[in-house]
Amino acid sequence: MLEIKGLHASIGGKEILKGIDLSVKAGQVHAIMGPNGSGKSTLSAVLAGRDTFEVTKGEVTFSGLNLLELSPEERARQGLFLGFQYPVEIPGVSNVNFMKTAINEQRKFRALPPITAAEFLKMMREKMAVVEMDSSFSGRGVNVGFSGGEKKRNEIFQLAMLDPVLSILDETDSGLDIDALRIVASGVNKLKRDDNAFIVITHYQRLLDYIIPDVVHVLYDGRIIKSAGKELALEVEQRGYDWLINGL
Amino acid sequence: MGEAKYTYTPEIPEVFRCRVPMEGTGQSYVTNGVLREEFYSPEGLSLKPSDIRGFSLEVKSGSKCEQTLQIISFRDSTDTNELRFENRVLLEENSSSSILLCTHTLTLDHFSTEEVIKIEAKKGSNTNIVVMQNEHNHSTHKVKFVIESHQSSYLKINVITLHGALLENDFDVKLIGEGAVCELNGVYLVDGEQVIKTNVVMNHMVRECLSSQLFKGILDDTAKAYFTGRIVVAQDAQKTQAYQANHNLLISQGAKAYAQPQLEIYADDVKCSHGATSGRLDDNALFYMRSRGIGKAEAKLLQQLAFVYDVLEKIDNVQLRERLNDLVESRLRGEFGHCTNCSMNCC
Repeated sequence: MLEIKGLHASIGGKEILKGIDLSVKAGQVHAIMGPNGSGKSTLSAVLAGRDTFEVTKGEVTFSGLNLLELSPEERARQGLFLGFQYPVEIPGVSNVNFMKTAINEQRKFRALPPITAAEFLKMMREKMAVVEMDSSFSGRGVNVGFSGGEKKRNEIFQLAMLDPVLSILDETDSGLDIDALRIVASGVNKLKRDDNAFIVITHYQRLLDYIIPDVVHVLYDGRIIKSAGKELALEVEQRGYDWLINGL
Repeated sequence: MGEAKYTYTPEIPEVFRCRVPMEGTGQSYVTNGVLREEFYSPEGLSLKPSDIRGFSLEVKSGSKCEQTLQIISFRDSTDTNELRFENRVLLEENSSSSILLCTHTLTLDHFSTEEVIKIEAKKGSNTNIVVMQNEHNHSTHKVKFVIESHQSSYLKINVITLHGALLENDFDVKLIGEGAVCELNGVYLVDGEQVIKTNVVMNHMVRECLSSQLFKGILDDTAKAYFTGRIVVAQDAQKTQAYQANHNLLISQGAKAYAQPQLEIYADDVKCSHGATSGRLDDNALFYMRSRGIGKAEAKLLQQLAFVYDVLEKIDNVQLRERLNDLVESRLRGEFGHCTNCSMNCC
C-alpha cells in the first residue's frame, strides 16, 4: 500500500529525514516511536504533502501512485489521512460545513453526486458515536474552543467520516487524559479493517496498550534505526532510546 | 385576408423589477435618484419623494413594522449625469422597523452618485438597516449617513459592499440621548482596481450610550481599502461604551489596506477599544483543509467566507442573511452577484 524508499527531506536547507525506508501493507498497524526532534512529525507532514519541507531524494509509492507528485488534496482523495498533532482552529467554518465540503470534494473526485442531506446527517450521527462526540460539536467552528482531547477526538471523527485507506496519526495521544486516550484508541480499533492501514506516531508506549501495532519502528536522527514487533515498544518504555542510539 | 406583412409592437420601456423578492418584504424603486410613483408603503410607514430626487421615509410613532421595506435604488442610461441628492429617514418614537437599501447599476455608463441619508432615530425607536451595494466597475458612489440618535434608541446598520469602482461610505453619528445604541457593521469585497473608503465619526455626546463598529474586508489584486474611524467621547458622556474594529484580509501582494483608528476621550469613566489588523490567508488552515481533500481554491474560499462570517451574522433577518451569504459566496467565486433564480444583472 505504501512504499517509502530512501526518503530524504529538508527544511530551509537543514536535512531532517536522512533516508527513510518503510513498507506498509493493508491490514497493518505500524507504530513509529523516537525521541524529540528525530523527524517523526516531519515524516508525517511530508507524506501528507506539506510544502514547507523539500523532498531532496527518494521515492514514495502509495496505492501504485507516485505520492510525491500529488497535491495534499489529491493525496487525501486517494485515501491518505493525516491526524494532526496540533489540529488547526478555523473560526467561522462549522464542523458540519467543513465535513460536508470535504466529503463532497472527495465524491466529486470519484464522479459521485453530492451527498444528500439525510445521508450526511445519518453519517455524522454514526461517526460521532464512534468517538463519543456530542452532537453540539457539529455546529461549532472547526476545533474552535475545543479542549486538547476534543480536538483529537475530532481528528478521529474526521477519519471515520472520510474512511481513508491509510491513516497517519501524528502524536494523537499527546495531551490526552486516560479517558480521552481510551476513546480515541477504541475509535481507531473500530475503524481498523483488513483493507486499510494505520501509521501511529507516538512518544509513549501507553497508546500502544490500546492500539496493538504489528510493527514498531524507532526513528532517530532522520533514519529508522530499529524495526521489530510490538515488544519493542515495551522495551523502549523500560530502557529509553539510549541503548538503541549507543548501539549505532 | 392575406397574411399580415408586419406586426406593430409598441415600444414599452422595460421597467426594472426585482424578480425574486423576499417573503415579508415590500419593495420600492428609485431610478437615478427619483422615487418611482408606484412606491409601496406598508402600514405605519410613509415613503414620499423628498425633492425631485431623494426619498423621505417616516416610520410612525409606536408602529411595529413586521415587513421589511426594501428600497432598490439604481442608475441606468436614462440619466448619466453626476447626481447629488438627499434622503431623509425619520424613525419616530417607539417605532420598530427593518429597512433594506440596495444600490445597483443597470447599464455600463460611468455613473457618479453622491447621496446623503439623514437618519433621525427618536426616543425608544428600534431600527435595522441593511445596505447592499452592488455596482459595476465604472461606478462612483458616495453615501453619507448623518445620524442623530435620541434617548434609548437602537439603530443597527449593516453594509454589504459587493462591487463598485469607488465606493465611499461615511457615517457621522451623534448620540444625543442617554442610553442610545448605535451599531455599524460592514463587509467589503474588492478586487481589480476597486477602492472602498469608510469614514466613521462616532460622537458620544451624553452619558451611557453604546456604540460598536465592526468592518471587515477582503482585498484582492490591487484593490485598496481605507478606513478612518474616530470615536469622540464628550466630557459629560460618562459610562460610555464604544468599540471599533477594522480587519482586512489581503489575498494578493498588491492589495492595500489603510486603517486609521482615532479615539478622543474627554470623559474619565468609559470603556473604549479599537483594533485594526490586516492579514493574509492562514497557511496552516489551508493545509488542514487540503489534507481533508478540499481543493486549494475551495479551501481559500472557505477561509474567506469564514473571515466575514461574523459580520454577516449580525444581520438579524435570517432569510436576508442567507441570501447575502450566497451573494458574498458567488462574489468570492468571481461570479456576478445574482440572487438565486434571478437572471437580472443588478450589477
